[in-house]
Amino acid sequence: MTGLPLTVIGGYLGAGKTTLINQVLGAAHGLRLAVLVNDFGAINIDAALLQSATEDTIELTNGCICCTMSGDLFFTIGDLLDRDPRPDHILIEASGIGDPAKIAAVSLAEKELRYAGIITVADGLNIAEQLSDPRISEQVKSQLRSADLVVVSKIRDFHVGSLLQDMDIPRWAYADDLETVAALMLDRTDLSARPASDAQSHPAYLHWSDTAPPALSREDIYLRLSDMPPGLLRLKALVPDKTSGFWEVHVVGRQKQVRRRDDVASIGLVAIGLNDALSQAEIRRWWLGT
Amino acid sequence: MEWAKLRPTLRTNDMTETRVFKARKILTIDPLRPTASHVAVREGRILAVGDGDCAAPWGDFTMDNRLADTVIMPGLVEGHAHLMAGAMWQFTYVGYHDRTDPDGRAWAGIDTADAMIARLRDGAAQSNEKVFGWGFDPIFLSSERLNKTHLDQVSTDRPVAVLFSNFHLMCVNSVALEMAGYDADTPLEGVVKGPDGTPTGELQEMAAMFPVLRRMEIDFRTLSQSEDAIQSYGKIATRAGVTTMTDLYSMLEDEDIALMLRLTGADDYPLRIVPALGASGAPAHVADKALALREQSTDKLRLGAVKLMTDGSIQGWTARVRWPGYVGGQPNGIWNTAPAEIFALTEEMQRRGVQMHIHVNGDEAAEVSLEALEAAARAHPWPGARHVLQHCQMMDRALFSRAAELGVACNIFANHLWYFGDQHAALTIGPDRASRMDATRTALDTGVMTAIHSDAPVTPLGPLFTAWCAVNRETMTGQVLGPEERISVSEALELITLGAARTLRLDHDIGSIEPGKRADFAVLGDDPTIGDGASLKDVPVLGTVFGGRVHLP
Repeated sequence: MTGLPLTVIGGYLGAGKTTLINQVLGAAHGLRLAVLVNDFGAINIDAALLQSATEDTIELTNGCICCTMSGDLFFTIGDLLDRDPRPDHILIEASGIGDPAKIAAVSLAEKELRYAGIITVADGLNIAEQLSDPRISEQVKSQLRSADLVVVSKIRDFHVGSLLQDMDIPRWAYADDLETVAALMLDRTDLSARPASDAQSHPAYLHWSDTAPPALSREDIYLRLSDMPPGLLRLKALVPDKTSGFWEVHVVGRQKQVRRRDDVASIGLVAIGLNDALSQAEIRRWWLGT
Repeated sequence: MEWAKLRPTLRTNDMTETRVFKARKILTIDPLRPTASHVAVREGRILAVGDGDCAAPWGDFTMDNRLADTVIMPGLVEGHAHLMAGAMWQFTYVGYHDRTDPDGRAWAGIDTADAMIARLRDGAAQSNEKVFGWGFDPIFLSSERLNKTHLDQVSTDRPVAVLFSNFHLMCVNSVALEMAGYDADTPLEGVVKGPDGTPTGELQEMAAMFPVLRRMEIDFRTLSQSEDAIQSYGKIATRAGVTTMTDLYSMLEDEDIALMLRLTGADDYPLRIVPALGASGAPAHVADKALALREQSTDKLRLGAVKLMTDGSIQGWTARVRWPGYVGGQPNGIWNTAPAEIFALTEEMQRRGVQMHIHVNGDEAAEVSLEALEAAARAHPWPGARHVLQHCQMMDRALFSRAAELGVACNIFANHLWYFGDQHAALTIGPDRASRMDATRTALDTGVMTAIHSDAPVTPLGPLFTAWCAVNRETMTGQVLGPEERISVSEALELITLGAARTLRLDHDIGSIEPGKRADFAVLGDDPTIGDGASLKDVPVLGTVFGGRVHLP
């Protein structure tokens, strides 16, 4: 797999970004995560997991590390790229007022990184107030609009849903459904570990894979990417080119990355979306034309 | 009368040398003795000010005539600058304006693409790896944007990059594009593509610039914390007559402090640095760190203040402005710290006794910050806090009055009038509000503790130029923006000395030439008070005296 995946977690002050990070750090995902946070103060790590701690870095026994941002964020990301061994995945907590898209942009430029999405946490209890405060509403809205997935925290409330729909955000997950959030955040699109052409069952999300996707041309790929099913949240494809070589395609939300590859270990395709917005038939029709 | 002969027994310490500097004129910025001809120095401090006999009551002295033909002022104080101002000179300067580097070499402004290419080729000839230009201003390129084909003329086998003066854009050559792996498939919009779909070489914002910088092994963090950066800072200060200068927004890690203590501690290091810790993260943690830093202060490294970013910049349309907003209808700017966080940080710093420098460009940012400062002042009274609003570019009379009432100092970005004034009138906030910008007259009239600054390297370090801006309010095209806001030469000279010292809570120690203060002087070739202020920016700066030690580069 090329490129170290990078996910940004956005959301206004107090929305629950750190709670989400604490949950993910403690979850059994088997990944060596590198997490960049604004402040250690709220990071809550099980003492049994703690291996070492300095002023700006905490190392966990499960291989994860947690760092505070010091100075320029992008150069801190550079330090992570220079670590040996490299982490499996970078998670960055955006500041409470920051635009997560500005951070995630680096993963669309740096070839050793790969865009793995923006998760914006919407504060289920306070979002209405934030959206009506003229001093901050535009920045809160843009945090939500840059998200590939909005995660509603603290409460499952009909009113929050209608506020999000008013902003043309048609679907979201709930922060208490950690399995769904983690699946969408952490890029669980390991091609070899899944049975062929199979929709996994989970109450909230759909996972579809194909181990023998047909060969495509560059034009075929861009044609598909220009007309994606609206409910698709992630796609990873390693497919043969019609003449020679391969294409590596990543879709995360609205972001698409296409790279030429000379050789790959295996080919395959994995797609993920929320269950209520995406169906197996829809994906098949879109990618395979069947 | 020879006091030394009359009262020899009063000499307290025969081992302590007293040196009397004779000058053509000494401007003291002390209303009790505005001018003098001699200043006596002992133990790095000012012993006496007056005529040739001023030191006589204190025993033997040495008359020092090295500065006899010069005009001496208090060492100038730059209350808003950044350490990277010195370090940029390790790269090739390709800016539009004439500049002098830390070693005194004059660099002519670049006003054609060919001139820039030629200069970068010189840079390429001197080094066998990368070529990095900085300070580029496309003001002269009317038809075509700077692109890779320009820079491919510099080198086709080495990476070439040119950083724009606003630090938000960079242009690179084909080799650099290839190193970063940028091609038609690079999805980031900040990697600008031409009509043929391939990258043009223009890279917008840090996310697009970073992959090239990384491969050229340029780390912006070291521009603010390296031996070279700190030494260069001392050199550019001396050439500008500056003896005390801030570094406003520093991470101040332990190893940074150790380095700064070592370098500034050298007797011949000519500058007092006042860094401010960047305030981000949990307020209590920021205060803890600031207070711990304060304990490590020395005379030449004054630690303990913090810097809070609130909004962006006016010329980037990211400053938070009040109604009627930007003249082109651009959306309001962005907070870098949310209003709620500004309140939380302000309260904690006030409660813990930590002085704050608060970046406010737009008037809404100033308003929110003053609201936060007022709330903090009610909760935790601290009359001598002297928190400082920095830039204050759109503050009006009511906001300045409020600052005065709260005892909040204002350090105003006067250089903007010349460098960006035309742009503000035409493009950002319109001619009316542009003529009210950087309102130094109003600040003084409302009784605000005021200073003026350059924000080097955003604009070049040079307090006399900054004073010229506040006195003349001229823009690059020669229009006078808001003549009513002009101030007098003597007012401006106070703002770049004692005024700035007050904002740093150092006015007991520096900022004027009076007994007991540090013997820090700016050494000038001419008298800045002569004339109407039109030539203030042309007054030659010969060097400084720091703690009684003469530095004439």
